[in-house]
Amino acid sequence: MAQRTPSGALRDRRGRSASGTRLWTWLMLPGTLWMTGFLIASLILVATLALGTTDPLGNPRFGFNFDNIAAMADPAYRIVLLRSLGFALIACVVCLIVAYPVAYSIALHGGRFKNLLIAAIVVPFFANYLVRMYGWSVVLSDGGPVLKALRAVGLADGHTKILQSGVGVIAGLVYGFIVFMIIPLYAALERMDLSLIEAGRDLYGGPLRTFFFVTLPATRQGAAAGAVLVFLPAMGDFVSAQLMGGPDQIMIGNLIQDKFFQGQNWPLGSALTMLMMAVLFIGMLGYLRRTRKDEAEAAR
Amino acid sequence: MSPEEPPPPSRRAFLRSGVAAAFGLGLAGCGFLPEGRNAFGDPDRPIDVKVDGDLVYFNWADFVAPAVFDGFEKEYGVKVIQSNFDSMEGMAAKLNAGNRYDIIFPTAKWAQRLADGGRLRRIDHSQLPHADAVFSRYRYFADPWYDHHSAHTVPFTMYKTGIGWRKDRMGDDLAGSWGDLWNARARGQVFVLDDRDEVLGMAALKLGLDIGTSDERDLARITATLQSLRPRLRGFSSDSYNNLLNGNAVMTQAWSGDMAAMLGQAKDPSVLGFEVAREGAPINSDCYAIPVNARHPGTAMLFIDYMLRPENVRKNIRYIGYPMPVGGSEDVYAAIVKPFPQCLVAPDDLKADLFFRNASSKGEQARDTAWTHVKAG
Repeated sequence: MAQRTPSGALRDRRGRSASGTRLWTWLMLPGTLWMTGFLIASLILVATLALGTTDPLGNPRFGFNFDNIAAMADPAYRIVLLRSLGFALIACVVCLIVAYPVAYSIALHGGRFKNLLIAAIVVPFFANYLVRMYGWSVVLSDGGPVLKALRAVGLADGHTKILQSGVGVIAGLVYGFIVFMIIPLYAALERMDLSLIEAGRDLYGGPLRTFFFVTLPATRQGAAAGAVLVFLPAMGDFVSAQLMGGPDQIMIGNLIQDKFFQGQNWPLGSALTMLMMAVLFIGMLGYLRRTRKDEAEAAR
Repeated sequence: MSPEEPPPPSRRAFLRSGVAAAFGLGLAGCGFLPEGRNAFGDPDRPIDVKVDGDLVYFNWADFVAPAVFDGFEKEYGVKVIQSNFDSMEGMAAKLNAGNRYDIIFPTAKWAQRLADGGRLRRIDHSQLPHADAVFSRYRYFADPWYDHHSAHTVPFTMYKTGIGWRKDRMGDDLAGSWGDLWNARARGQVFVLDDRDEVLGMAALKLGLDIGTSDERDLARITATLQSLRPRLRGFSSDSYNNLLNGNAVMTQAWSGDMAAMLGQAKDPSVLGFEVAREGAPINSDCYAIPVNARHPGTAMLFIDYMLRPENVRKNIRYIGYPMPVGGSEDVYAAIVKPFPQCLVAPDDLKADLFFRNASSKGEQARDTAWTHVKAG
């Protein structure tokens, strides 16, 4: 409700002036337009295309053709979708296990080097994703340093390979997206009230007990945010499976890429994209419900 | 605006038509783009062969020797404005979006699609003094399947598909059959190209079927055959070049041009071998073509003729490692691929006619599904 302040300016209940609100509305406009134009409109376009057909020159044509939706019943897509979910999930868990100690030591023991250390982690990720993945495929190749080292210590023989295996794909996904896990975890740990840890110790909790019963629950939201940030791109990724995977590691992103760039079947590619998004959307709903519950609890 | 040059659809129009259709405003059945043969211009207008502007060039990366470009720019006083595509689909998408190029390089299959769709200008060969070395020596191209009388195209390169292997791991000789990919000694070390037509075509040839079959029963046999290859298979990859050189592959389906390029790059080329299968080698050809909405078709014609001059053909063959159907250039290529004589493309190879052709839309769909099954495993 707007009311007059002693100075006479019109302010709403939270004390913002009407002109200030108007300014913020204007400032939000470019972002909103951008999102509407490039996210929502393109999403609608993809959804509509899924019902379309293709002309001989590869032009997508709109229509009301449910063949592409019906094609989703093919077991091949189910296998690949489940495989992608599995890979993304494993990548998420590995990211969490690897990222937590990194974020923890920087946030709690980084001292004045904190920013430098975070920069050291983030900066390499400015390099092109594809180039970094190519680099990994060289490092993990049969004649590469990793396998050479493993062979030298007897952990691998001449037949062991990392490239073109599930391990290769997971390694690619973890390397590709781990920074999305480190940053939210770091932020959560930074924000955490350190006196909670002291309280835990005062109550005779050992370091492990304190970690599992105090630190971990207090940073749960950071971990959940990181998990979502890693899971979403990992699920749709195709570069990792392309460069590090073999014939049994094809992911849903690879099939979508094929439909768009090889078969030039945009409608089927769109249908596949919608299928993947539907699966991700269900996961996102679960996440949103969970965080809302957490916030409600925190507010109480 | 002159009636000769209808404007390409703007990006905004593209988006607008998409969003409008998204809301179901009775646009069912419409595409993003104007329909009809002459929507981008009249393909049959004669081209006035003279410099009419800089050359806007669209090709795979590194497919013309830089010295050849320099020579053209100097001689005709124009600039070559280059951009590259990385797949035929990518090229078509750019053309469909209304981008304007003066010269493009489609494969045979795509040349047919573009010519049939009214997207290519008609080329009068009598205006190209050097074209005779192509059409008189390589009679096949006087009337190829993809473009009646080569009315819209001039052939640029030729290549075929075979098997590349590591002699140091598999020995000096293979059986000369596509069945070599099933060799037990290559278990887990075989790559096939990440290319629908090549992989389905390879299995079709092995089974004695039509290379481009879209018959459901044929495709079922093809997918079953390719399933039996899986224990040998390490991956789908079109990077034969690196896979063989770094030893991740002991055997791979490979394009002849890549093998020729490897000869110049490998530390010890004698460890590599290349064979084409007796069941047949798929063959392909890239062409010069001028899009119907080209701004400078005259310069493009001069460029094609310039590229066909014997000295430039030689320079380009040495640079890209692909043979060109130009009479008199055969010895240059033969010298390059001396260790892999099977890379040579002779007129008889063309007559075998193992080109990948366009299927009906239902046929393309069936092949697409088969490819999904092959890849998904």
